Amino acid sequence: MKIKRTAAVFCLIGVVSAACSNNNESASNEENGGSGTIEIMSNLHTPEVPEPLIEEKVEEQTGVDLSINWVPDNNYNDRLNTAFSTGTLPDVVYVNFNHYNQFKDAIRDGQFWEIGPYLDEYENLSKLKDNVLDNSRVDGKLYALYQGRPLSRQGLIYRKDWAEQLGLDGPPETTEEFFEYAKAFTEQDPDQDGQDDTIGLTDREDLVYGAFKTVSSWFGTPNDWGVQDGEIRPEFMFPEYMDTMKFFRRLYENSYINQDFPVTSKSDQQDMFKNGTAGLYVGSMGDVGSLYNDAKNINPDVEYDVHNRVKGPDGEYGIWSIPGFGSLQLFPKSAVETEQELHKILGFFDRLMTAETANLISWGIKGEHYTVEDGKAVMTQDSQKFDREVKPYQSLEIGEPATNGSYQLKAEYPPKAKSEELNRDNEDFLIEDPTLTLDSETYLQKGTRLQQGINDATYNFILGELDEEGFQQAIETWRNNGGNQIIEEYTQSYEESQ
Amino acid sequence: MQSQTETNAGQVLSKNKKWELLKKRMKKNKLIYLMILPGLLYFFVYKYIPMYGLIISFQDYKPYLGITGSEWVGFEHFKRLFADPDFWMIFKNTLVLFGLQLVIFFPVPIILSLMLNEVRSMPLKRSVQTLIYIPHFMSWVIIVSITYVLLTMDGGIVNGLLQQAGFQEVNFLLNPDWFRPMYILQVIWREAGWGTIIFLAAIAAVDAQLYEAAKIDGAGRFRQMWHITLPAIKGVIVILLILKIGDVLELGFEHVYLLLNSSNREVAEIFDTYVYTAGLKQGQFSYSTAVGFFKGLVGLVLVVIANWLAKKAGEEGVY
Repeated sequence: MKIKRTAAVFCLIGVVSAACSNNNESASNEENGGSGTIEIMSNLHTPEVPEPLIEEKVEEQTGVDLSINWVPDNNYNDRLNTAFSTGTLPDVVYVNFNHYNQFKDAIRDGQFWEIGPYLDEYENLSKLKDNVLDNSRVDGKLYALYQGRPLSRQGLIYRKDWAEQLGLDGPPETTEEFFEYAKAFTEQDPDQDGQDDTIGLTDREDLVYGAFKTVSSWFGTPNDWGVQDGEIRPEFMFPEYMDTMKFFRRLYENSYINQDFPVTSKSDQQDMFKNGTAGLYVGSMGDVGSLYNDAKNINPDVEYDVHNRVKGPDGEYGIWSIPGFGSLQLFPKSAVETEQELHKILGFFDRLMTAETANLISWGIKGEHYTVEDGKAVMTQDSQKFDREVKPYQSLEIGEPATNGSYQLKAEYPPKAKSEELNRDNEDFLIEDPTLTLDSETYLQKGTRLQQGINDATYNFILGELDEEGFQQAIETWRNNGGNQIIEEYTQSYEESQ
Repeated sequence: MQSQTETNAGQVLSKNKKWELLKKRMKKNKLIYLMILPGLLYFFVYKYIPMYGLIISFQDYKPYLGITGSEWVGFEHFKRLFADPDFWMIFKNTLVLFGLQLVIFFPVPIILSLMLNEVRSMPLKRSVQTLIYIPHFMSWVIIVSITYVLLTMDGGIVNGLLQQAGFQEVNFLLNPDWFRPMYILQVIWREAGWGTIIFLAAIAAVDAQLYEAAKIDGAGRFRQMWHITLPAIKGVIVILLILKIGDVLELGFEHVYLLLNSSNREVAEIFDTYVYTAGLKQGQFSYSTAVGFFKGLVGLVLVVIANWLAKKAGEEGVY
C-alpha cells in the first residue's frame, strides 16, 4: 500500500549517515580556514542521497562550503515542522509552496530575513520573475527566493496504440469522450488477448495530484477556492465539483477505474498503466518519459501519447495551476545572524543562477551526464547514474531556465517533448487559486483537518457510500466547524487586497 | 510473606520511625540501593524532564517565542478537543481497538504457550517457536503491504479465489466493517508468537513434581493444564494484563495510520492518528500536546482501575 513509506524509512537512514559525513566535511574545512558553511535543508526526490560529486563541483565554482541536509520528500513537511519547533532551522530552508502558509505567522513576527531590498544588488537574482515573486509576498514584502516550475503540467497520458486498435479517433476532446475512452478500454479488449483484463483509468489515493483535481478543472471547478457573489468559497461548494464527483462515480460503478483507487499508491497506479492493465493516466504529463522507460521493457510495442485540451460540459478549457514555484527559500534569522551572512548566502544563490552553475545542478557535468544538441540538454543513457549523481541537486535550482540560463531538456522520446509543449499550451487557460496571497487564521489552524472531512466525503460519494444529501451534510459540517470563519476571513482579506 | 510483615510493621510504626528505618536500611545496603540509581536517573531524564513540555498544551505555543515567551491560554486547546465533532468517534475507536486487543489478542499467546508446552517433540517445538517469533521483526509497512496485495480488488489473490468459488468479491480494504477484523488479525499474526516468550518461561518454572503427583491421581492433560499450569502462571498473566492496559495508548500509530483511508476513517481514526493529521501536520504543537496529554490521562485512569481490581481479586498489582 504505502510502500513509499518503506522507501522513506530507508532514506531517513541515508539522511542520517549523510548528515554525519557532511558534518565531518565541514568540520575539516573549517580547520583549513574555510569561510564558514552554508547549511541547507532540501527535499530529496530520489530513494538515495546523492553522491557528493556535484556538490564538490558547486563548492569549487562558488567558493562556498555547503552542508546539505537531504530529507525525503514524503515526510519533508513533518521534518521541517520539527526543525522549526525545536529551533534548529539551517541557514536556508526550502519550503514547499503548499506549506508556505504555515510560516507566515513567523514571517510576520520577523523570524526570517526580508530580502526584497537586496535583490537588485544582485545581477542574476534581480532577473527572477516579478509576477512569480509576487505570489510569495507577505503583506507586500518579499522574504523568499523561488524555484521555478511550469504553471501547470497537468494533462492526460493515454495508450495511443489501444485507441487506434479500437478505431477511436484522436485524443478525447471532451469529458464525455474521455468517458467513452474509459468504457472502450475496459469493455472492448484493447490488448486483443481475448480476456476481460483491462480497465480505463488508473488513479490513486490523492485527490490533488491523482486524476480528480485535473478532471475537475476540465469541468470548470475553481482551483481550491473560487469567487462567487463577492465571496471566497471552497471548490466543493461549486456545482462543477459535484459534476466531477458524479463523473467519477459513473467510472467507478462501471469498473472503468481501478476499484481500490482510494488506497492505491502512486507506484501501484503507475504499474497498472505500465503493464497494460489501464489505458488512461491523468496527472503530470511529463511523467510519460519515465512511464515509457519502464513500460517498453514489459511490452516493446506500447505507444503512449499526451494530451491537454479537454472541454467540459460548458465547452470551455480549464486547468489548475500552481503559483509558478515548486518551493521557496527562506532565511531564518536564528541561523543567519548578520546582514553580512545573508549577503554571503544571497551571493551564493546569485552564483547558482549563472548558466554555468545552474546547468551543473540541473544536468551534471557536460560530457559525463549530458551533451548539448540544438541548444538543449540531452541526458545520458545511464539514467541510474543520473539519478544517483545529479537528479537530487535539481531541487536546489533557483528560478527557471528562462531566468537562470540553464538548458531545456531535449527529449529523445517524442511524447515527452510534446508534454513540454503542452505545459506551455496550458498557460492559455489556467485556473488560479485566488487565496495565494490571502490570509485566514482559522484555515491555518483547522484547514487540513476540515479538508480531510471533505476528502472523505468525496471518496465516499464516488464509492456510492454517500448521496448528494450526505455530501451537503459534509459541507455543513465543514461550515459549522470553522469553514464559515475561513470563508469570512478569506473574503475580508480578498476585499482588502482589491 | 515479606511484604505482609512490612505492611504490618508500617502500621505500627509512626511515619517518622518508618523514615528512620529506611535510612538505616539504606546505610546497611548502600551498594544495593546504589544499583537502582541508573534506573531512577533514566526515568528522571527521559520520562520526567520531558513532562516539562506538557506546559505548552496550556499555551499558544510559537516555536520562535519558546515556552517562556508564548502566550498562556488556559484550557483553550482542551476545549477545542472536546468540542471537535469527531471527539467521541475518536474516543470510541480508541477504546474499541483497545478492547479488541484485550479480549481477543491477549489470550492468544497464553493459549499458544499452553499448546506449545504440550508438544513432546523438542525439535518440532523449537522450530514452531522460532517460526512464530519471526513476524514480530517485520515492520508494519511490510505487513500492511502484504495484506494489501492479498486483499485488493484489482487482482488480489483472496478476491480471485472468492470469485472462482462463486462468491461475491469483498472490498476488504475500503469497507469499514472489515477494518477491525483486519487490524486485530494483523496484530495477532505479528505479536502472538512473541508474546509466548514470557508465558513459556513462567510455565517452565512450574514444579514438575506437581504434574507427577497429578498424574498419579489420574489427571489427564487438560486437568493438569487447568489445575496446575494455569494457576501457576496466573500472577504473570495478571501483571502482563495490567501492563497491557497501560499500553492503551500504544495501539500502534504506524499500523493504524497505514490501514486508515477515506472510507474507514469512522472506525479507524484514533487519538494517535488524529494528533498527526490535526496537529503535527499543520504545525499545531500546543493542540497536539493537549490531545496527547488527554490520551495519557485516559491511560492512567485505566491502569489505576485495573491495578485496584487486581488487588481486590487477591493478586499482586504492579505497585
